[in-house]
Amino acid sequence: MMNIYVLKDIPILIKTDGLGILFLILTVFTWVMNLIFSIEYMKHDKKRARYYVFFTLTLLSMVGICISGNLITMYIFYEFMSLMSLPLVLHEQSKEAIRAGLKYILYSLAGAFMGLTGFFFVYQYGNSLNFTPGGVIDRAALAGHEGGLYLVTMLVIIGFGSKAGMFPLHGWLPTAHPVAPSPASAFLSGNITKMGLFVIVRYVYYLVGPELLRGTWVQYTFISLTLLTVVMGSMMAYKENQIKKRLAYSTVSQVSYALLGIALMTDFGLTGAILHVVFHSLVKNTLFEVAGAIIHKTGFKNVKDLKDIARKMPITMWCYTLVSLTLVGVPPTSAFLSKWYLAKGALDAKIPVLSYLAPICLIISALLTAGYLLSITLKAFFPGDEYDYPCLEKKEPGLFMLIPMIIMTVFAVGLGIWAGPMINLAGQIAGGVL
Amino acid sequence: MNSFKILLPIIFPLAAGMFIPVFKFKSRRNRNLLIEAVTIINSVFVWMLLLNAPEGALRALNLAGNLEITFHVDGLGSVFAGLISILWPLATLYAFEYMKHHGKDTVFFAFYIMTYGITMGITLAANLMTLYMFYEMLTIVTLPLVMAGMSREAIMAGRKYILYSMGGAAFAFIGFIFIFTYGTSMNFIPGGVLAGASIEGKENLLRAVYVLAVLGFGVKAAIFPFHGWLPSASIAPTPVTALLHAVAVVKAGAFAIIRITYYSFGTDFLKGTFAQYIVMVFAMVTIIYGSARAVKEPHFKRRLAYSTVSNLSYIVFGASLMTPLGLTAALSHMIYHAVIKITLFFCAGAVLIRTHREYVRELDGLGKRMPVTFATFTVGALALIGIPPLPGFISKWNLCTAALAQGTIHAYVGIGVLLVSALLTAVYMLSPVIRAYFPPVDFDKKSVMDFKDPGKCMCLPFVIFVIAMIGLSFCAPQLMSVFDSIASLM
Repeated sequence: MMNIYVLKDIPILIKTDGLGILFLILTVFTWVMNLIFSIEYMKHDKKRARYYVFFTLTLLSMVGICISGNLITMYIFYEFMSLMSLPLVLHEQSKEAIRAGLKYILYSLAGAFMGLTGFFFVYQYGNSLNFTPGGVIDRAALAGHEGGLYLVTMLVIIGFGSKAGMFPLHGWLPTAHPVAPSPASAFLSGNITKMGLFVIVRYVYYLVGPELLRGTWVQYTFISLTLLTVVMGSMMAYKENQIKKRLAYSTVSQVSYALLGIALMTDFGLTGAILHVVFHSLVKNTLFEVAGAIIHKTGFKNVKDLKDIARKMPITMWCYTLVSLTLVGVPPTSAFLSKWYLAKGALDAKIPVLSYLAPICLIISALLTAGYLLSITLKAFFPGDEYDYPCLEKKEPGLFMLIPMIIMTVFAVGLGIWAGPMINLAGQIAGGVL
Repeated sequence: MNSFKILLPIIFPLAAGMFIPVFKFKSRRNRNLLIEAVTIINSVFVWMLLLNAPEGALRALNLAGNLEITFHVDGLGSVFAGLISILWPLATLYAFEYMKHHGKDTVFFAFYIMTYGITMGITLAANLMTLYMFYEMLTIVTLPLVMAGMSREAIMAGRKYILYSMGGAAFAFIGFIFIFTYGTSMNFIPGGVLAGASIEGKENLLRAVYVLAVLGFGVKAAIFPFHGWLPSASIAPTPVTALLHAVAVVKAGAFAIIRITYYSFGTDFLKGTFAQYIVMVFAMVTIIYGSARAVKEPHFKRRLAYSTVSNLSYIVFGASLMTPLGLTAALSHMIYHAVIKITLFFCAGAVLIRTHREYVRELDGLGKRMPVTFATFTVGALALIGIPPLPGFISKWNLCTAALAQGTIHAYVGIGVLLVSALLTAVYMLSPVIRAYFPPVDFDKKSVMDFKDPGKCMCLPFVIFVIAMIGLSFCAPQLMSVFDSIASLM
């Protein structure tokens, strides 16, 4: 096979492995769901042609990330993804959307450029740039430069963590996700954030190698940042009144659950992270689609308007309630499992203080999650005594919008109940690198 | 006498440029055809010369004593000459349409062609004397081009340009004198000419002179704080700003810096000394300063000019690493930035000539009206930011890996500087793109209805440059091995 070279000694390399395939399937599946949802949602939008073009290009670049075999290939697709998803954020072309778009692209590029320092470092001290379980760093060459390695690894984590909404570069996410058309917000929140996480996994587990990082300040800082983000995101979501913004803050919090699992560098932790990626993706896509359906049908954007909405849109709100329970982590639904694995992974890691702090943060955040998600359910189903019931008008969206929601809800709930294969798969992937 | 063909690419355009204003042409078309033919023929001469380069140097003239005007073809010179010879015919093509409504365009083109010859003189110069002579001539011959508009502002810009450049050349002259006195040879020799007993005890003086010379040549390469002429000179017609102020003139400055660093003073003599660090710091400050000013600048062409200020110092930074990798990186950025920046200026010029809009805030909604222009601009902008696999990424990668391999604290800081500058580049390059394609919903659509893409003469270079940018990134490995072979002589 002919290799295409961009840099002198690094070809464009396409290679698949278990982790990549899992992300690939997840991405393509949720993309198709969002596409079906878009058919109805975007029907009356004048610029839908542009929307579909960039929506597809975003998918292609994400597929590229999942199947790349070395760092440069992945970086090319990563930048491509940032740029191709920019028109989705800009879609409305309102002042707010344009500002959000600029914020989005600058945070993304800033993160990517920070991460690039790590790439130079691996190029200098590594045997190759191909993803290899356990890392490629040449220990002999590295001797004396460990400090540099830790520093650039931290930069990579913070830099690509910006895509995943991790503190301190999370600021763009609550601004940019809500202004996009709902199916695009769903995809941004549910999947594009995961690509930042994917890059971090590739860098930490497949290039540097967890052995070099375990027990260093990098790991401790990484864990602390994720815990901070988990709690902070939930709190921000709790006090946010706009539905889509609340969901965006929820993404900030939830993706950091998965990042926590990566930072722990234990078998259980990584398994939990992979599980949480899958579950959160399904749940968040559904939640944003529900929010989209509500906006599309009623125009309501704030939580306080949602009183009694369940009578008008029963199927939508049932989907909402089920996936909310899932995300909160009520057993036997799916996110319960991932959180269980994460907590166990944290205790296994045997890091002073942080090992115990992590489960506590997870529980606090779970409570907050229940608070910000289920309060909407309560409003929707139980508007209260003083509520003056108007005459009922059905606002249920069409089948194109309902079917993807229902399918993803079924998956989100079902994967928790019949979780065996999924856990095995995640465990195998985690076992392969640790 | 085979080696006389080395003079051809220098003398032919000079002669042609002198005779063009003498003739009376039947039509503008005939004149344009002749001018284009001259540039293409000269490019053919250049490539014939480069492809079978004569050995040794040609002594053309003896001024006095050891002061000789000599020419040769070597690796570094061929890279610059090859670049110039490809860009010149395209820029001339673009200039025909751009200068159509300009009164004295025959004179303009006469100087435009003569500049080609002078620039070739710089690329083919075999010693410091020759380089210095053509360097001064370049200043003079491009002055009428800067002042072509003949407005008060243009004349002031021209005056600023000539004062800065002449002043810089005076500093460079100091370096020239010292090399003349202490060097073993006047010629450019890879690795430098300073050696032996004569420099003993005077090392630090010579290093200080080196810094002066770099800053002197650095006027043309727009090193902060000597960059002031470049943004002012963007008043000139776009073919001038694009070709001269993004490529020929400013790169001549960078080229001269590379020459004196690697071929006169020598890297062994300079590496690890204060001279190297001072130059590095100047380059880093300029990189950030240029980018930051570009972010702040609302005028479209001036924004690009500030971006040039910043990017030229990427080249100087690469050169100041004083390693073969650093030289490779500097050369790659020299080529890539040239192609990218000329494209961006051409787009800005197309907007200017079609819509008479000069400021970035006025670009709202033009993307749909001028699709070819803005598609080209977008590719150029992404390339400049360094989005892989476009060429800007490759030179950024080369510069940063070279800096990391060099391993001093200055070099590490340089990596950070380059990446911060890349982010600032994203800020100032993406905002025009977003304005053009995603104007606010409430903007006045009627105001842009009448605008359309420029004609064929301007669009053809656009298409060629986009193809070149993509092509350059995919034949980067071959290009880099050429640069490596040049750099490995050090």
